[in-house]
Amino acid sequence: MKMLLVFKKERELRFIGHLDLQRAMQRALRRSGLPSSYSQGFNPHIILSFAAPLAVGITGEREIAEIPLMSPVSPAEFLERLGRALPPGLKALEALPQPDDAPAAMARVFAAQYAFAPLKGQEAVWGQLTEALPAFLAREEIPYIRRSKSGERPDDLRPGILNLFEKEGEMRATLALNQQLTAKPDQLLASLSETAGVDQPLLDIRRLALLDARFAPLEQP
Amino acid sequence: MDEMVLQRLEALLARVQRPARYVGGELNARVKAWEDGITTFAFCFPDTYEVAMSHLGMKIIYDIVNRQEDMLCERVMMPWTDMMDGLKEEGIPLFSLENKAPLSRFDVVGFTLQYEMSYTNILHMLELGGIPLRNAQRGEGDPIVIAGGPCACNPEPLHAFIDAFLMGDGEEATPQALRVIGRGRREGLARTEILRQLAQVPGMYVPGLYEASYREDGQLLSFAPADPKAPLPVEKRVLLNLDQADFPEDIPVPFAEAVHDRIVLEVMRGCTRGCRFCQAGMLYRPIRERSAQRLFELAEKLVDATGYEEMSLSSLSTGDYSQLGELVQGLNARFAQKRISLSLPSLRIDGHLQEALSDTARVKKSGLTFAPEAGTQRLRDVINKGVTEEDLLRTVGEAFAQGYSQVKLYFMIGLPTETDEDLLGIADLARKVAGVYYALPKGERARGLRITVSCATFVPKPFTPFQWAAQDTLEEIKRKQALLREALKIKNVTFNWHDPEVSFLEACFARGDRRMAEVLYRAYQKGCRLDGWNEHFDYESWLAAFEDAGLDPHFYANRQRPKEELFPWELLDIGVTKAFLWQENEKAHEAKTTPDCREYCLGCGLTRFEGACET
Repeated sequence: MKMLLVFKKERELRFIGHLDLQRAMQRALRRSGLPSSYSQGFNPHIILSFAAPLAVGITGEREIAEIPLMSPVSPAEFLERLGRALPPGLKALEALPQPDDAPAAMARVFAAQYAFAPLKGQEAVWGQLTEALPAFLAREEIPYIRRSKSGERPDDLRPGILNLFEKEGEMRATLALNQQLTAKPDQLLASLSETAGVDQPLLDIRRLALLDARFAPLEQP
Repeated sequence: MDEMVLQRLEALLARVQRPARYVGGELNARVKAWEDGITTFAFCFPDTYEVAMSHLGMKIIYDIVNRQEDMLCERVMMPWTDMMDGLKEEGIPLFSLENKAPLSRFDVVGFTLQYEMSYTNILHMLELGGIPLRNAQRGEGDPIVIAGGPCACNPEPLHAFIDAFLMGDGEEATPQALRVIGRGRREGLARTEILRQLAQVPGMYVPGLYEASYREDGQLLSFAPADPKAPLPVEKRVLLNLDQADFPEDIPVPFAEAVHDRIVLEVMRGCTRGCRFCQAGMLYRPIRERSAQRLFELAEKLVDATGYEEMSLSSLSTGDYSQLGELVQGLNARFAQKRISLSLPSLRIDGHLQEALSDTARVKKSGLTFAPEAGTQRLRDVINKGVTEEDLLRTVGEAFAQGYSQVKLYFMIGLPTETDEDLLGIADLARKVAGVYYALPKGERARGLRITVSCATFVPKPFTPFQWAAQDTLEEIKRKQALLREALKIKNVTFNWHDPEVSFLEACFARGDRRMAEVLYRAYQKGCRLDGWNEHFDYESWLAAFEDAGLDPHFYANRQRPKEELFPWELLDIGVTKAFLWQENEKAHEAKTTPDCREYCLGCGLTRFEGACET
């Protein structure tokens, strides 16, 4: 069987990168004594996969990992044992058993939901950003230079912004996150700041949920 | 730190490389409250987080201090250049990982001295932490700055910046020293009085209580206490029983990968082989073992507490550990099922290697490392490295037959009495190792032979039989390296060498006197930092620093000392006597070897320490 884990990566761990998180999770699984699966070969390691890597600087409210297990474990026991073993800043929220042949979570991710909030002292720039929202959304194209390992190329951010609005002092965004279309939260912030005519502020960014093609949270059956 | 500073810090962290280095919060980090009456200690590692978190000594001291109810220990490391510059620009003081406390707020700030080329980092860390650099400039509210570790055996180049040095093992001495300082500060004693009291703690050297004078030719003339109560000599501390000593049972597990990111079990302290170039071999005498039983206990606890997937055994000469076979078998029996691999670094090529190798092979095949140190038997006899070519080739052959195909060979160049013949012997040895591999039938050897030959430049160190020796000049080292580059153009052999300029500066500091403090200060002012990192090493600035200080680096590095010279480190007593070292030096020049002292006592001086040589 495999277990789908919903976990929280708290704010204090926002500077911990994806590979570091993966290692921390593997070590926690080792400490937990859960029947993890190991890779074959020279340096066997615990197999686990994350639905979508989280960029450095962002808090993850409901992140998703999949963990194959050698023998069945109840969700309650899984949560209890992993919960005790996780390092500070990581919290196990839910465990959902999956059949071995269930499609990989990674393949089901379609979009992600983010919340942006101002830090203390950022009231002015926050006002300017939120005021610029209608104009920003009215743009037909939001050109930017997309940087990746393979180089730089011009791209359009607009189609990847599936939803963007202000609510209760936060900005909420649903951004595409799939093979065909991807919009990244820091680029959204950069482009919005450009439209608003302000220097890009350092906001508090949280990823609230990973969504499938139905726009339902990935963990929902 | 107040909220505005924290916010600026957050913005800074968002733009530096590898911010995980600076945030702490690791599993098993100890965050204790700053309650009234608690003595606060900042353990400072003058290199980056990745290097610091690989260091066993820091974990031991961190654990021991935090076990004490009346004190706490927090970690501080050298920031990378982007973070350093950012901290300065934003006016954020260097802070600890645990409570984000500025360095200047601690009662005691302690540096570990692992490597001479980290000295400029110490000055930068003090400056970033808001602590006056020179001990003479520090006020009553400033922390007491202490240091320990192997380079503390010649503390003089740092005498102007460090208030007190600890000689020898830190397990017992550190809490004692911290208690004296903490009590003194709470009672409102003057700084000078606290330091006087500190000098009464065995093993503590307070440089301000001593005066040095120099002869016209630059040699040390005299060295004497300026305070009647200051001890002379200062005897090093020796922890006699490792089994009874505290050893960490849970260590901070970094999120960011450390250089050596694994459980390290210290099986033994000290070495009795008596290699004549080796400072650690003299400093860490006597030899003391931790029992296999205790190590099993510790390993179980550490595995449960950390989740590490790798474990290594540490000591100066793990092959000499008397229970090695039992230990390796026992660890495998306990942990192979959990897929924890065991690596055995720095094995000597004699001893119980075969037995140990056949056991590690069951878990993990890491590379093989050997350190013949010199290319000919004659030179190996000079340095008393009791390893023969026959041993090496036999062991390598056994390893190849078991599926190993990568071998690292470590050598030194510039050793006393070395000739070109000795250098060519290095190439010869590499060729013979390759020959052993090819002598095996194809089906019985792993593919992909790779032999790496690394040649460090010999640095004469205090408290070794070669403490009188001249280091080869830069020109000579470069000539020798060129010779080796040519001679080592052998199939499947890679040759690595170090910048000789770095070794030259190491030599200056290793045997430097108080006047070297000025060179260090000038180099720091010229922006020298992270000198141990190739990309930051700036030789020209160092030369200019010598010039400004009016000192000649060759005086320190390249001068053959006369037998009777008074050394700056002679007011410290590490146990081994100068007479023994001189005797070993003479034997070296006759290429006469000295046996391991576990065969019979050689009279090195350690027996003066009660109970030291009983095992």
